[in-house]
Amino acid sequence: MLSDVIAAIATPPGRSALAVIRVSGRGAHAIAATVLRPFAVEPLREARLTEAVGADGEPLDRPLYVVYRGPASYTGEDVVEISTHGGLLVPAEVLAALGAAGARPAAPGEFTRRALQNGKLDLLQAEGVADMIDATAPAQRRAALSQMDRGLSARIERLREQVLEVEALVSYDIDFPEEDSGPVAPERIAAATTTLEHALEGIRGTARDGERLREGALAVIAGRPNAGKSSLFNALLGSERAIVTEIPGTTRDAIEAPAVCDGFPFRLVDTAGLRESEDRIERLGIEVSRKYLSAADLIVFCAESGRDLSADEEKAIGEFPAPVVLVRTKADVRGGGEGVAVSVHTGQGLAALRAELARAAFSSLAVRGDVAPVVTRARHRAALERALVEVRGFTAARRSGLEAAVAATHLRAAITALEAIIGVVAPDDVLGRVFATFCVGK
Amino acid sequence: MKTDFDVIVIGGGHAGSEAASAAARLGARVLLMTSNLETIGQMSCNPAIGGIAKGTVVREVDAFGGVMSRAADRSTIQFRMLNQSKGPAVWAPRAQCDRSLYRRAVRSILEEQPNISFQQATAAALLLEAGRVCGVQAMDGRQFTSKAVIITAGTFLRGRIHMGTTTQIPAGRAGDAPAIDIAEQLESLGLEVGRFKTGTPPRIDGRSVNYAGLDRQDGERPDYRFSAFGQTDRPDQRPCWITWAGSDVKTIINNHLQESALYGGAISSRGPRYCPSVEDKVVKFPDAERHQVFLEPEGLDTAELYVNGLSTSLPPEVQVEMLHAVPGLESAVMTRPGYAIEYDFYEPRQLTPWLEVKAIEGLFFAGQINGTTGYEEAAGQGLIAGINAVRRLNDVEPIVFGRDDGYIGVLVDDLVTRGVDEPYRLFTSRSEFRLLLRQDNALKRFGPLAAKLGMLTPAELGVLDHRLGQEQEIVSSARESRLSVAEAPALLANAGRNAAASPQTVADLVRQPDLSLKALLGAVHGPSFGPFSDEAWVSAEIELKYEGYLAREREAADRLTELASFSLRADLPYSDMKSLSTEARQKLTSTRPGSLAQAGRIPGVTPSDLQNLVFEVIRRRATAA
Repeated sequence: MLSDVIAAIATPPGRSALAVIRVSGRGAHAIAATVLRPFAVEPLREARLTEAVGADGEPLDRPLYVVYRGPASYTGEDVVEISTHGGLLVPAEVLAALGAAGARPAAPGEFTRRALQNGKLDLLQAEGVADMIDATAPAQRRAALSQMDRGLSARIERLREQVLEVEALVSYDIDFPEEDSGPVAPERIAAATTTLEHALEGIRGTARDGERLREGALAVIAGRPNAGKSSLFNALLGSERAIVTEIPGTTRDAIEAPAVCDGFPFRLVDTAGLRESEDRIERLGIEVSRKYLSAADLIVFCAESGRDLSADEEKAIGEFPAPVVLVRTKADVRGGGEGVAVSVHTGQGLAALRAELARAAFSSLAVRGDVAPVVTRARHRAALERALVEVRGFTAARRSGLEAAVAATHLRAAITALEAIIGVVAPDDVLGRVFATFCVGK
Repeated sequence: MKTDFDVIVIGGGHAGSEAASAAARLGARVLLMTSNLETIGQMSCNPAIGGIAKGTVVREVDAFGGVMSRAADRSTIQFRMLNQSKGPAVWAPRAQCDRSLYRRAVRSILEEQPNISFQQATAAALLLEAGRVCGVQAMDGRQFTSKAVIITAGTFLRGRIHMGTTTQIPAGRAGDAPAIDIAEQLESLGLEVGRFKTGTPPRIDGRSVNYAGLDRQDGERPDYRFSAFGQTDRPDQRPCWITWAGSDVKTIINNHLQESALYGGAISSRGPRYCPSVEDKVVKFPDAERHQVFLEPEGLDTAELYVNGLSTSLPPEVQVEMLHAVPGLESAVMTRPGYAIEYDFYEPRQLTPWLEVKAIEGLFFAGQINGTTGYEEAAGQGLIAGINAVRRLNDVEPIVFGRDDGYIGVLVDDLVTRGVDEPYRLFTSRSEFRLLLRQDNALKRFGPLAAKLGMLTPAELGVLDHRLGQEQEIVSSARESRLSVAEAPALLANAGRNAAASPQTVADLVRQPDLSLKALLGAVHGPSFGPFSDEAWVSAEIELKYEGYLAREREAADRLTELASFSLRADLPYSDMKSLSTEARQKLTSTRPGSLAQAGRIPGVTPSDLQNLVFEVIRRRATAA
């Protein structure tokens, strides 16, 4: 049932001035016409006032509606968008009336799925839409937007072209052995391959930050018991999530919460302080802390201001597997010590800490000053890795003395890997490239 | 109903000859009708058979007992194995052939088939009955009835020769009348027709050439034969000569560009990018300093030379001026001017994957009529049409070659799936499986099928078994035999650290680029191993040397086969499938692919369309059941 009519409230539930109900599918216009009176398909893409009536003929609301005719619509199908008054009741009643008229409630993401199926979006754009909807931090939104705009698709397409260029050089040699230009110099193929490798590495290099950008960087707050970790956690979050007492070992389990620092998304984790403990529950908590620490993108290490770090602390910092931001807590009590001085009571140093966290977790993106386009999904990274492995395989095979014609199998595999990201099957245009580059015609 | 013949083949060129031969080998009563019996097997353009990918097609046709391979072997006067330096996986055999010997060989090979009748007659119209073909009406009034007709018209359908902007001659080839009536009938049947152009260079009198400064190119590999079935002796050999067209020629062309049929506006149809006229080369690649010119012998009993590389539609007097600007040709006598020719072709997406016209049962098209160029491409199509015309009249499932079966499969699939926007020629780049589709393994790929279809004689079957058996024996021995550095120190001196440690199988050792299978097995077995044919050695070595790469291509081919096994019925209502993109609906409706794999190769059909197509088809099957 791929083109049956679906309907859903497109805006978030709850109190609001307006709500938008979207109806899409074959027959969407007819179904809308039974609920909206008056209703006319034309003029398309123009907001008009109408009345929505329930199944029993009772007036529900006086909404605006806009009609789209497929394929010129978001989903590629016939679409009606109805702007009702907000709140919980009115949009739900209008939706129910549409249901009575034959529309089915849409499954999550179904509109986008249809847009994808109808060729309105490519796979990357669809993923961008999903990310856009999920985005909580401005940087996430910017990355998702650029992906929707085909920024990433365009970049992957360019990479594919670059592989095709190398493949064309090899193919020219095989398919046109008696031409004017003579054989292609191996150095030319090697140089093009190196450029390609660098380009692939470059975009793959954004994957770590990109995935972090999509999922939030895992920043784990660590330090000795009672170092002020939970207070800092609450301060960064802007709410009292963790229980704070002056009793060391209060935090037993790790608490994870999303936070935005300087526009970048974090998954902030408050952990139990690290110490030898006789308390069984606290020991379990410390175990959990260690697991978080080993998976962290960033460790926020808390130590009170105005004292030297202990040998144990120095050792712990040295052994953490992720970059460490050292925070000197309780800076209002007494100052001093290496690290970012912070007081959760006065707010001193919090802005500087947020900036430092953003820099430490998203350095490459922050430097770029622009988050587009980056690889934001593990799927993309895996495909890029495959492409890179194949391109390197080509180089290695050539070095081992294998003929280019045989080694070119790697290039074709790399092209396939990249095509899997953008989900586009294009006719093999290696020959097009050859004809554009070389004068052939024996 | 009793008919005069089972299959009528119209045209006696490279497609027609193979079609007639294949049908006859399958036991059909075949009529080959052509306007001129003297020009059966005529090479209309360059006097050469084979080349890149094309040479492999000749071998594929040969596996079915084809004509082209044997005719080429009998008429080869210079032979080259192209791409020798690039590894045996892409070797490409190409023979310069004596034009007249080739033609005579084709005629005599066809005449060896008792089931083939010949008639000199020009087809005027197809005889049709209730949407099926039932024979051919000749211009002279005679009628021949049959159950299937294969049209292999070459460049003859409304052919028009251009020299310069003023000379236009209706002709199918220089000196031959075009076919007008049947062209008009075909168009009136509602088939979509287009126009292509192709060209041919001038010929010169070899006695007027100064060879002193030219590069002589002799043939090689005197042992190589296209045909696996019989070692015919080659005739005397002749060299080719290489010269070049430089800045003087460019100047002449630029000065006279507006007089060229191509650039002066007389021709607007598309020509092949890979076989451009010299005008095209000069205009499109102005920075190229010189263009190679190959002087190719027309035959043993003539001094005439074919000037390969100077295809042109300039007026004859400019052609002479241009020739005289080429080193060695300063006083050359032009015997025949080059020309461009425009002709009708039929959009090949109107054909099934077995080359039957979808709209007219029993009617098959093969060769240039389908928008291809090249003798070999024509021959491959002729084979497919010949086999399937007989299968049509016996009412059995058609035979379709897969893209991983052979270049003929690639060719036909490209034609019927993607259509053509320029004259189509094969390249290895057209195939996803360059390493699987080799000239050395064509017999292995197709011989068993030919045997199964009953197309091979008992003697040919013996050759097939012998050749494949030898290869198998070599490969098995390589997998079982082990060799250590101590046993063959000289051979394995550079064999790397692994070989030094312990004996390795020959199959493993031969993967190293500089080790030869023959030398390795020789070191193991001594001179008692064999003897095996060179062909068996070459194939066995490639299979082992590139085993990993071949396996990867084989995997990709298997994925394709999986998609190909999901068949799509010809009557699917694509326009109702709203989950497909508009473009996909249109493309699928016009192409009507036979399988999911074929659908995926149609430009504009995306993977998500394919996914939805699967849903749609399954849902329809469920509803129908």
